[in-house]
Parts: sequence; C-alpha cells; structure tokens
Amino acid sequence: MKLSSLIPRSGKVRTGVVVVLVFIVIAVLGPVVATHDPRATSFDMLEPPSGRYWLGTTQSGQDVFAQFVHGARISLLVGLLAGVISQLFSVVVGLLGGYLRGVADDLLYIVTAVFLVIPGMPLLIVLTGYLPSRGMLSIAVVIAITSWAGAARVIRAQTLSLRNRDFVEAARATGEGRLRIMFFEVLPNMLPLVASGFLFSVIGGILAEAGLAFLGLGSLTTTSWGSMLYFAQNSQALLAGAWWWFVPPGLAIAVIGAGLALINFGIDEYSNPRLRTGSATKKTRTSRAAGGDATAANAQVSGIGSGTPPTPGGASAATAEHVALTRERTDEVDPELASRIHPSPMPGSPIIEVDSLRVDYPTAFGTVHAVQDVSLTLRRGEILGLAGESGSGKSTLTNAITRLLRAPADVAGGSITYRADDGAPTDLLHLEDRELRALRWNEIAVVFQSAMNALNPVTSIHAQFDDVIRVHRPSLPAAQRTAIAKEHLERVGIDPGRIDAYPHELSGGMKQRVAIAIALVLEPDVIFMDEPTTALDLLVQRDVLDQIVRLREEYGFAIVFTTHDLALLLEISDSIAVMRHGRLVEYGPAVDIYRDPQHPYTQNLLSSLAELGSLA
Amino acid sequence: MKFLLRKLGLYAFIAWAALTLNFLIPRMMPGDPVSILIAGSKGQIDAEARDAIAAQFGISEDPMIIQYVHYLGDLLRLDLGVSLSQYPVPVLDIISQSLTWTVGLVGVSTVVGFVLGTGLGVLLAWRRGTWSDHVLPGLTFLNAIPYFWMALILVMLLSVTVSIFPAGGGYDRSIFPELTPEFAGSVLYHAALPALTIVIGSFAGWVLQMRNMTVTIMGEDYVSMAEAKGLPQRTVLFGYAARNAILPSVTGFALALGAVVGGSMLTEVIFNYPGLGYALFQAVSAQDFPLMQGLFLIISLAVILANLIADVAYVFLDPRTRQGA
Repeated sequence: MKLSSLIPRSGKVRTGVVVVLVFIVIAVLGPVVATHDPRATSFDMLEPPSGRYWLGTTQSGQDVFAQFVHGARISLLVGLLAGVISQLFSVVVGLLGGYLRGVADDLLYIVTAVFLVIPGMPLLIVLTGYLPSRGMLSIAVVIAITSWAGAARVIRAQTLSLRNRDFVEAARATGEGRLRIMFFEVLPNMLPLVASGFLFSVIGGILAEAGLAFLGLGSLTTTSWGSMLYFAQNSQALLAGAWWWFVPPGLAIAVIGAGLALINFGIDEYSNPRLRTGSATKKTRTSRAAGGDATAANAQVSGIGSGTPPTPGGASAATAEHVALTRERTDEVDPELASRIHPSPMPGSPIIEVDSLRVDYPTAFGTVHAVQDVSLTLRRGEILGLAGESGSGKSTLTNAITRLLRAPADVAGGSITYRADDGAPTDLLHLEDRELRALRWNEIAVVFQSAMNALNPVTSIHAQFDDVIRVHRPSLPAAQRTAIAKEHLERVGIDPGRIDAYPHELSGGMKQRVAIAIALVLEPDVIFMDEPTTALDLLVQRDVLDQIVRLREEYGFAIVFTTHDLALLLEISDSIAVMRHGRLVEYGPAVDIYRDPQHPYTQNLLSSLAELGSLA
Repeated sequence: MKFLLRKLGLYAFIAWAALTLNFLIPRMMPGDPVSILIAGSKGQIDAEARDAIAAQFGISEDPMIIQYVHYLGDLLRLDLGVSLSQYPVPVLDIISQSLTWTVGLVGVSTVVGFVLGTGLGVLLAWRRGTWSDHVLPGLTFLNAIPYFWMALILVMLLSVTVSIFPAGGGYDRSIFPELTPEFAGSVLYHAALPALTIVIGSFAGWVLQMRNMTVTIMGEDYVSMAEAKGLPQRTVLFGYAARNAILPSVTGFALALGAVVGGSMLTEVIFNYPGLGYALFQAVSAQDFPLMQGLFLIISLAVILANLIADVAYVFLDPRTRQGA
C-alpha cells in the first residue's frame, strides 16, 4: 500500500485529521516541553503572555501554558475513555436489540429510551455529586453512562436492516453462532456508523468533562481545560481582563471538537454520496457564476440559462482535450459499429427535436460523456421507446430534455427544441426560469421511475393534484380544481373518493396510476415515462400499460417511454431508439427494428429475446 | 392514535424510571449523603443528629420497598422535602421560583435556535455547491464550542469590554419584581446575553442536521416531480424538500434537547441566572441533597414533557404515523 493512499482526499477530513493530530502531539509532548510546573505558584500574578510565560499567568502566578498542555492530556484522555466506554455500551445494546428482536429488543429499547430522554448533564451532576472521590476513570464512566443511548438507537436501526441481508442469512445457514454473526458479520458492515458514533462520543466526553470540571465537580487535583476555566471563573479572570487565562482552554475544546466533527463529515459523505461538496461540483461552479442568477434550477442544469452558448469551453482546457481524446478513441475502436439511424417516416409535426446533444459528468477520474451526439425527433402523438441497459445514458438524455439534470451533469453541446401547436420553436436549454416553469406540466409532464417514491409521502393525493393545477390555472376556483382531480383519478381507474388518501395508504400499482393521473391533469403534449412499470408485479404492469396506451388514444399526447425491456417497447412503441455508452446505436420505426435490426448490439438483444420466447 | 398512545405509554414509563432513578441514586451511590454531610461538618454533627438527617432524606432502616412506597407517597403529596442550605424552605418552593425563569429563558431560546437553525439549514441546502459549502466548517466549529465558554466570551465582549449588557442576574435588583413594564424590560434586558448564548450554542447543530437532510431529500423523486410540475421554487423547497427533511429533526429532538438543557444549565451558572440550572449548581456546591434530587426530578420531567410535545407534533407532521386513526 502506498503511503499517499492513506491521505484522505476530502479537504475537510484532512483538516480534521491534522487538527486532531496536533492536539494529540500537544497532549503527549507538551508536558515534556513545558518548563513550568502547572501547579507551582509564583509572584508573577496575572501576567499577560510573554517570552517567559507563553500564555501568561494565573492569579496565583501559575503558568497558563503549562496548565494548558497538561490539561490537554487529561481532557483528551477523559474524552477518549468516555468515548470508548460509551461506544462499547451502544454497540452491545444496539446489536443485541436489533439482532435478537422480540422481548430482549423491547426491553433494551425502553432502557435506551429512558437514557435518551433523561437529560445527561443534570444526571451527570447528580451522580458526580454523590461520588466520594472523583478520579479520571470514574468521571469517564459516569459520562459514558449518561451518553450511550443515542448511538445505540442508530446501531439498533442499522442492525435491523442488516440482519436479513443475504450474507447474514448465509452465515446463519452455515450454523454460525449468534454472537459470532453479530460481532463478525453484522458489526463489520456498520463500521462507518460505529466510527461516527465514536467521534461524537469523544466530543461529548470532552465537553461533559469540561462542563463538570467547570462546575467544580471534576477532579480538582488534576488540571484539565475545564478546571482551568473553573479557576479562571472563580478568580474573576473576566473582570480582570485576563483573556489569556480562559480563552485558550475553551478555544481548544471548540477546535478539537470541530476537528473530530470534520472527520465525521468525511464518514457521512462516504456513506451518503449526496452530501459531497468536493471538487466534482467545483467545475460547474465556475460556469454557474457566469450565469448570474444562480437559482436552484440553474444550479442543477449548470451552465445552461447563462447568456453564453453552452460550449465545452465552460470546462477547463484539460477537460476539452479529454473530450476530444475520448471521442477520437471511441470512433477509432469500432468504426464498423457506427450507429444505424433511419429517418423516421412517422406522420405528424415534430414536437421535440434533439440535435447533437452532449452531456458530461465531471468526475474525480476525468469527464464521463453520458450522452454523446444524440439527435432525435419526437412527433405529435408518437410513442418513442428509449431502450438501453442501466448506465447507457437514457435517463441522462430524458433528464436533459425535461431540464431535470442535477449538478455536476453539464450540457456540453447541442440543442433541444420544443415546438408548439403552431410550430413556433422554443429553445428548451435557454429558457428563463419563469418561462420554463410555465411550460412544465402544461406541455411536458413526467412520470417517474420509482412510483413508490414519486409522490410526496407527507401530503394527500388531493394536495399533490391541487398544487400543480393552482399554479398553472390560477383562475380556477378550488371546487373546480377538486373536480378536475377527481375526474382524472377516475380516468385511471381509481375511486375518486380516495382523493384524500396519503401515498402510504395506496398500493404500488395505485400509486403509479395516481402519478399518471397527475401527469395528465393539464393535458400535456408530451409525457416522459421513466420505467413506469418496472417496480410493479406482472399483472399490475400489464394493467398500467394498457391504461397508458388507451389514454394516449384518448388524449393524443406523445410519449417518451424509457425502459431496459426491449420486448415491451416493440409492443407499444411507434419508433425505438437504442442507447449504448451514451450514443444512439439504433433509431427508427419499431417495425423496422423488429424485422431488420442493423446494429450488432440490437441484433444480439433481439436474438436473446427470441430464445427466451419473449417475442411471439 | 395507536402511535400516540404507545408514545404516551413509553413516556409514562420513562417518567417512572426517572422517579425511581431519583430514589435509587442516593441509596446506591458509594457515598451516602448522610456520611458526606457528617464528614463535611468535621465532627459537629453527633450520632443523634445523624438519625435526624437521615430521616430528612427518607433514608431509614426500613426495607427498600417500604422506603420506596413512602417516597412515592411524598411525591404524590408534592412533598419534596426541605432544603438543607436554605433551611427550612421547602424544596418545592425553590423549584417553583426558578422554574419560571428557566422555562422563560431556555424554552424561548431553544425554540428560537431550532427555528433559526432549521431555516438556515434549508437555505444552505438550496444554495448547495456555492459559497454556502464554505460556511459548513465554520458551523462545525460553532457547534463544538462549549456553551459556558461562549457565555464567558460574550460576557467579556459585551459586558466587560463594552458594557452593553449586564453580566448576570435575572433582573435589576433595585426594581421591585411585579408586573410593570419597567420590571419586564429589566427581565428582557438581563435575559439577552444568556439567550444569545443558548441560541448561538444550539442553532449550528440544527443547521447541519437540516442541511444534510434536505440535501438528501432533494435527491428524491418526489422533489424532482415537484420541479417538473413547474411549481415555484419556494413550493418545491418548503412544501416538498424541507417538509420531509424536518421529520428526522423532530424525532432527533430528544437527543439534541439533552445537550441544550445541559448547556443552558451551565449558561445559567455563568450569568447567575435565577433558574433551575443555577439552583442545581448551588445545591451541589452546598451538598444540599434534597434540593439536588428535587431539581433533577423536575428537570427530567420537563424534558420528558418537551419530548412528548415533539412526538405529538410529529403525528401532525407525518401522516404515516396516523395509520388506523
């Protein structure tokens, strides 16, 4: 392993590690370096910092610097001890409860709740109030007793979700003991949680020790940062203006606490990539700055909406070079695999025209070209099937058209045009926010991939119909809005009486229908459907599909239907586009593609479908 | 309603646990209060007085269970004993005096900190990827500052260096405490610095939690759908993203409240604020065990009540808990 791989990539984590290391060095070496005895008094009372006393002196002439470095040792040690003990408690209680479930879990849950709710500090004060002698270890234990509950809750929840995973089932099947499974199978899989809990316990421990010592309840025979503050407060250091006495210990607590929390940021971002703020977003930030008005919509579709044409020049020169290189390479590798694009002989006027669209994702390892030179024409009333495996760029393509791309995705080139009834073109990529909002749902609606999660879980179906009608049809009275919503529920076969239901009260199939009904409510020209049937079981899938086709005949809207299920597309689509590695490899009428696929990739797909008997 | 009833049951149990803990601590801890007091008096308390003091505590030779029944009976009659340091003032009187001050100061500043922090968290999540990301390390630092040190710094800056605010107390001693505008003004004036301490000390934690949760929620499909609907930015942000992101903040209230209450107690000590925290500090310093116990009990019960309120609010915020209502 190379040494450099041990250095964390995130700047925050790096700062945190450095801060913590510095304090550890101070705690270990400081007392050796400090020339004064921290408790030795002298006649140099309340002297400000000088060459002799680096951090000045106390009221009894003690050296503040010596106290500070000795205090670092005690404060960190108590924090560390309390952190270890408390995290041990949390892990054992959380693992046992989450894994064993049943009565044991109920009991542990209640005990945890008691310690979670009863405030720690007062309990700590009362407990230490009764302690006959207050050594470091007993203080650390008391702190641990009052602080383990929160982390135990978290670990229990994670254990509950891990205990039914395959690897745990497998371990059970091979007859591993329960304790072994808990500590050697489950525990290693939640180390980030345990680590983060540990960091917080250490912060909590340092703070609690300081608080106790500050109240005069710590061990007053040893010097800690808290006891320094206690003596400073009791000797009216504030009124004497002796800032050098009470600023360093408090600042040190805050800085090391922040350092530990910064390391924890890194752990959080490791387990939840959405929280990352690192270099990936940096590049887009520059292009957004040029855009001026950085609203969230612009922020997500960075670079667009600025007055400047969206060229790859927005990214750095290196990126542009990388773009050129990759394109050159792919073109070189498979010259005979060039895409087969048949002109679509579909009747009807065009409604959405995509022209040589390119979408890039800057990543830590260079730019990924998620969509490369894609051109499509969608006509009124057409069902366009967009097929491709996951990662082929089909969702990036539809998100670019619906303007739902999130940073760091960046439209690097090309254009998307929407044509109204009278053929008047609208440049979708350069719409003002207000114009974009007005066009949305009126003309272009979206049905999302995971129907389970497309509806707001905390508001009623009614509210989710109502907000969109109210925004786009402000003159309609409330009663009429409700009537429209009910009518559309009925259209998709849902009892209008259920309009006040919440999403969790509906089945998966019903939620999908509601999402379709909401998409229909303003009678748009185009509906984008991103795998609308994937999460449903087969019978319901069939049902929903039939409904979509019927509604299309009724309303006459065009559909862009995204799926990895080519058989399904062949059945319902007028034309089909197949994507691979960000490019269109085949695009033309569905019948042609079924009878005579041109591209080897499509040929493979179709022959494998034929073998499975999916194509009757 | 089942959810609420279950919560009610749980909190009733926790309250009972707090009562029992309060009963057990003086009897279980290695140093029993009577011997600590006698040791502290350096031979001035004789054996006879010892029994009298023990009786004060309700500690006797009776079996534990009898003592426990007596203890619960006393609590029912709201008899928390008599303070030793302010003999013979009943503990309940001291508590009822300081309770108002703490509820006023800590209650209001906690709510202000929560509202301010949560709002700022949403804003930072919305402006994610811009200047706002650079605020995060600063907030982390702010969040790690001990309340009592923050209080010291504020006193130094705003009371000693520039005397804008008083350094301590609940009101101007020269004013008779009655319901006059003058007295009310003095109370607010004295509450400013401690309140500022608690708000600054607590809000950063809420910001970080809410920011991270909102960023996570903004990746959900229902937020994309709200955006695709062409709803105004405000509605997408508050009606969809923040509305869902606040749920864990409300459930996490218990966890955070403990820290806020602990910090606020130390803040009261620094400002000599006539609340529960300062009273507890004085009780501990004076080894006034009955008062200490009474205060611990009342603080615990207040926090339990606050948690119950948070859970009731949760029922209103999340329809999923209302199932079967």
